[in-house]
Amino acid sequence: MIQELFVLIYAALIMGYVAWNIRKGSFVIDPSKLVLVLFGIFLVSVAGLMLLGSGLSEAASIIMKIGAAGVMFAGVIPMVAASVGLMRFGEEYGPNIFYARNHITGVVDTTASLVMIFAGILIYRLDLVAVGFFFFMFIPFVGNALANAYYYNFQRRLEK
Amino acid sequence: MTDLTFLSQFADAAFFWGSFIFMVACSVAGLACIRLSLKGEAVTSLMGISCFTTVAGVSLYLISLPELFNVGFARDTAIALLVIGALGTIIFARFFRSGD
Repeated sequence: MIQELFVLIYAALIMGYVAWNIRKGSFVIDPSKLVLVLFGIFLVSVAGLMLLGSGLSEAASIIMKIGAAGVMFAGVIPMVAASVGLMRFGEEYGPNIFYARNHITGVVDTTASLVMIFAGILIYRLDLVAVGFFFFMFIPFVGNALANAYYYNFQRRLEK
Repeated sequence: MTDLTFLSQFADAAFFWGSFIFMVACSVAGLACIRLSLKGEAVTSLMGISCFTTVAGVSLYLISLPELFNVGFARDTAIALLVIGALGTIIFARFFRSGD
């Protein structure tokens, strides 16, 4: 039970940080610095666990699993925000709302694939990373093909 | 050693709940995608279905992980959804573009 309480605090911290980033509209901490800080925390945590008597692989797998959980928690807020956006932007905004919706579905796709890639790296699942990366490469082509199709469809309807 | 056991249990619990909550968020996004695909015209529906295949594929892949629910066959379905869903969207978008 006490673990779940700590999980709740951990989730609240990460989701709060992601929500703060989204609210601000840019990164609160620059990602190039954040990655270095997180890597430093990872190294210090693994060294601390090894001092407590753990093996290297066991310590690394514990810390990386906590990191993978953090990646999943971080993906929740953009996913929910994107679904709220998809629900909210209706037809009353005119024909060009398609492009906003296309962007929102791009956010969903990107979040899903990045969660797959980083969680896969952190739990040593290379198949998850490979599928996520393969899908990540397809996202721009899908968005572009959809926008292109809508544009030409709309032009044809205008001509008629 | 007690600390290590606690941390290990915390890591397992955090991973389980993280994946579970992410799957719930994916389900919410899936509902929004279904609504989009049912309301809109042809290209909008295609976009909604494409987005739905993504969230369904990711959820199924997470279900198939041995650390979580270990449903082995969900992995193949997830790969098929993610890869063929994206390719199918591109192909159908080309059809819609040409208007045939």
